[in-house]
Amino acid sequence: MTSPNALNPVPTFSFRLRSTSPSRFSPRTGHVTLTRSRPTDGHDSATIELPTPSLVCATSRGVIQHLSQDNVQRTPCAKWIHVPFESFLQIDPPSISRQEGPNPLHSFLGFSPSRHLLSLSLRDPADGREVPANGKEFVSTLTSRGTRKIAAPVFRSYVTTVLPDITFAMSDIPFTPPPHSQKRTTKSVDRSAQWLANILAPLNLPSLPQTPPTRLNVFVHMVGGIRDAARSAFSYMLREPLEPKERTLVQLKNLDEGVSGYVFDLQPLRITLLAEEQKVSLQSLGSPAVPHRPSDDKVCDTFVSLMHASLEEMPVEKPRLVNTTLSPHEMLILIRDVGIDLFDSFWVQQAATWGIALDFRFPVPAGTEEEAKKHLGHNLYDDCYAIDISRLADSFLDGLTHSNRGESADQKNTPPVCPCGACSPTWSNEPLIHSSLDEYTVPRGTVEPASPYTRAYIHHLLHTHEMSAHAFLAMHNFAVLDAFFAGIREVIERDPDSFENEVKRFFAVYDSTFELLDEAKRSYHEVDKARGKGRLAREKELQTAKVAEELDVPVPTVEVVEEAIQG
Amino acid sequence: MVMAHGPTLLPTFMPVATQAAIKGLTSQQMEDLGVTLILNNTYHLNLRPGIKILREAGGAHKFQGWRKNLLTDSGGFQLVSLSKFTKITEEGALFASPFTGEPTLLTPEESISIQHAIGADIIMQLDDVVSSLTTGPRVEEAMWRSVRWLDRCIAQHKREGRPEQNLFAIIQGGLDSGLREICLEEMVKRKDSVSGFAIGGLSGGEAKDTFWKMIALCAEKLPDDKPRYSMGIGFAEDLLVCVALGVDMADCVFPTRTARFGVALTRQGPLNLRLNKYSQDLDPIDKDCACPTCRSETSRAFIYHNIGTETATAHAVTQHNIVFQAKLMGDVRDAIMKDEYPAFLKSFFKGYYANGKYPHWIVDSLNSVGVDLLEGLQNTQVVDEDGQNWDYA
Repeated sequence: MTSPNALNPVPTFSFRLRSTSPSRFSPRTGHVTLTRSRPTDGHDSATIELPTPSLVCATSRGVIQHLSQDNVQRTPCAKWIHVPFESFLQIDPPSISRQEGPNPLHSFLGFSPSRHLLSLSLRDPADGREVPANGKEFVSTLTSRGTRKIAAPVFRSYVTTVLPDITFAMSDIPFTPPPHSQKRTTKSVDRSAQWLANILAPLNLPSLPQTPPTRLNVFVHMVGGIRDAARSAFSYMLREPLEPKERTLVQLKNLDEGVSGYVFDLQPLRITLLAEEQKVSLQSLGSPAVPHRPSDDKVCDTFVSLMHASLEEMPVEKPRLVNTTLSPHEMLILIRDVGIDLFDSFWVQQAATWGIALDFRFPVPAGTEEEAKKHLGHNLYDDCYAIDISRLADSFLDGLTHSNRGESADQKNTPPVCPCGACSPTWSNEPLIHSSLDEYTVPRGTVEPASPYTRAYIHHLLHTHEMSAHAFLAMHNFAVLDAFFAGIREVIERDPDSFENEVKRFFAVYDSTFELLDEAKRSYHEVDKARGKGRLAREKELQTAKVAEELDVPVPTVEVVEEAIQG
Repeated sequence: MVMAHGPTLLPTFMPVATQAAIKGLTSQQMEDLGVTLILNNTYHLNLRPGIKILREAGGAHKFQGWRKNLLTDSGGFQLVSLSKFTKITEEGALFASPFTGEPTLLTPEESISIQHAIGADIIMQLDDVVSSLTTGPRVEEAMWRSVRWLDRCIAQHKREGRPEQNLFAIIQGGLDSGLREICLEEMVKRKDSVSGFAIGGLSGGEAKDTFWKMIALCAEKLPDDKPRYSMGIGFAEDLLVCVALGVDMADCVFPTRTARFGVALTRQGPLNLRLNKYSQDLDPIDKDCACPTCRSETSRAFIYHNIGTETATAHAVTQHNIVFQAKLMGDVRDAIMKDEYPAFLKSFFKGYYANGKYPHWIVDSLNSVGVDLLEGLQNTQVVDEDGQNWDYA
């Protein structure tokens, strides 16, 4: 006899605060638990646990960028993975909505129900491009084949078909050119509350008992744009008792009762604040108008006060998730001043795309203070890495060095190991067998450490436009961010009062402007532009032109060289 | 075949890691896929990262983190295919350095020295490559020069004393069986100074009939106790015919390159996953395949959704195609060991040409070694086609 729970398609989500925070917005640690009561991956049930503060992997078109499924498995910190749905709307019906099985979203994307928690939103939080206005009943989404209008019931039908573990309610966040009028913001607040009610309504599956009602695990975007009053108004709407009619439909006293967590997307706020400050419209910022450098202190202060306005009256025990921060500094500010629990890892993944190997730690290792401001990582496009055969990060050890050191090493002054597929690769104990003879030739059974990949190798891969470079960097950057969060949790739990001081030290040591990002992005585009047949010639041309400019000499042409050879 | 970095079972297919990486994959992933021998291109590695850095890193194996076997070509082929101004002299190949633009000479000695620095387990002689469509005296000149350069390569290889690296000769002679025979005779004379023989100058657009006859001719004359390597062969049908004719090794960029364009290889022929017909197809590429992509049940629809936009999807198809080639050759090894290769060929082509249309060059070539593909089959047709079995619509 299967318990009724075993039929429940929705796993149980819970969040527990571990540290007792002195105030509503103090830094805090917590614990996310997701339990599936349905049989999963050959087990009767599965539980996924995640200590917070922690990272949420961002995806593009359903994949963690640059990582094939086996490399996702080599990245154990990829536990919570967020999937924007809009890219799948490019064909109708979306192929993903035809996937069968107990965990259709996991199955379609190739993630493991026993290891991965999947959340889903309609729109991509990192996509700041302009989109036609949303309507009373719909949100305009972007797909690679144009825009599509999605109404709340349609979104609900997709969600109940693909069954993510957590659903971010559809919200009315405008991506039309800012500024947005007060009237527009009021609409945004009203619509978002309405659509939240729609997604919170019980599932009413015939196979399940009607009481207590089964519903989705829902996170809600705390909307209200850059107006404190609108934010307070939205949070009031979440708490106010529902009208009798709605109450019957949703079966909740108020909306917040059904909400599992709160979400803040920074990208739309950044764009709006930027427009406000510079009095420029979204179009003139170019498309995609996605700021990629972290915001200054003033903007961060604004983020903090906007979040305070949203959360001031809300229960403290629900998790708070922020999308599209752009630096560890921004993350630290939001942990210190708002008590944020979860952050998407968009920026570290973006850094991997642009050739940066991250190299920073929290808390800052002792003895680093006196030096000049450190970069957050290495732009491996830079020629200074061409012959650099050291591991990717100075602040971490590689697996091989660590295992060679053995027990005797001085534990206290030894940096932690970066467990990523670039710094601590391991040889498989189970390579594929292709013929009956293979077994005798392929060593099996032991997992052996392999040498770490070097900066010189990644530099080479970047300049030859080899995709492997970004796979290595993505794995590495995830590991650095994961260690960053582990350090944060450790400091908060050991001595919450020291957190502020450690944040100060971090700011004193590491560059908060992340100028490295612009440099890397430029190199990325140079290589991208030069690639293809005749690349070396084009690079040469560029180089010669640069030198010639400096020396003021004419540039030799290809014909001259050709003549020299033919002659 | 046992070399400094372990054994590699023959016959085998070698994936190409042109610039010291199989596009998108890591060395750990390659080893996981059950691959024990890959190829690097000397021409590319010499330009980038350059020999200085490879020396610093302790050779190409260490540089790319690869602990199994590695083969490098001589760089000659790319000089001809990639450089517009290459001029071949008796001394070597003269070309404009893509970096400095200065005239640069690649001699047989220099090629061997570079390959020694790279440190591959199998290194190739510098040969005088002409397009397989070239006719006239140039073909004969190139053949003789390749023989003379082989001698210089052997001398250099001995001089520099790298016994753990294995030098292969390359049979040239274009599409002229007379010239091929002379080349074979000359090079086989030097068999004690080389570890294996490659068949070069083919797979460059010549008729399939000519192709298999040249392979057959070379395989016939090459010594039994040295591995034979067909350069630039990668289509399943070509591999199976070459093995039937006596070839042990082959390489080609085709399986990995075509993967990046969304073509997944199967025993029923390639699937072009960019086609609309796959947009709602929730089956994996091949449910019986052991590759990570098929094991995780990645659907054709999901590949359709992302091929061309997400690199990870290109990696997924690349992994599949590498395993397809490796498993094909593994099955070939098993069939040969069990003395069942003819039956394997029949069963493979029956699935591969399910429409019953068999290219006549395949039927003819296999007939030449006593395998009658059509034996006992009805409703088959022998057609004048190359047999690549593309998935068009």
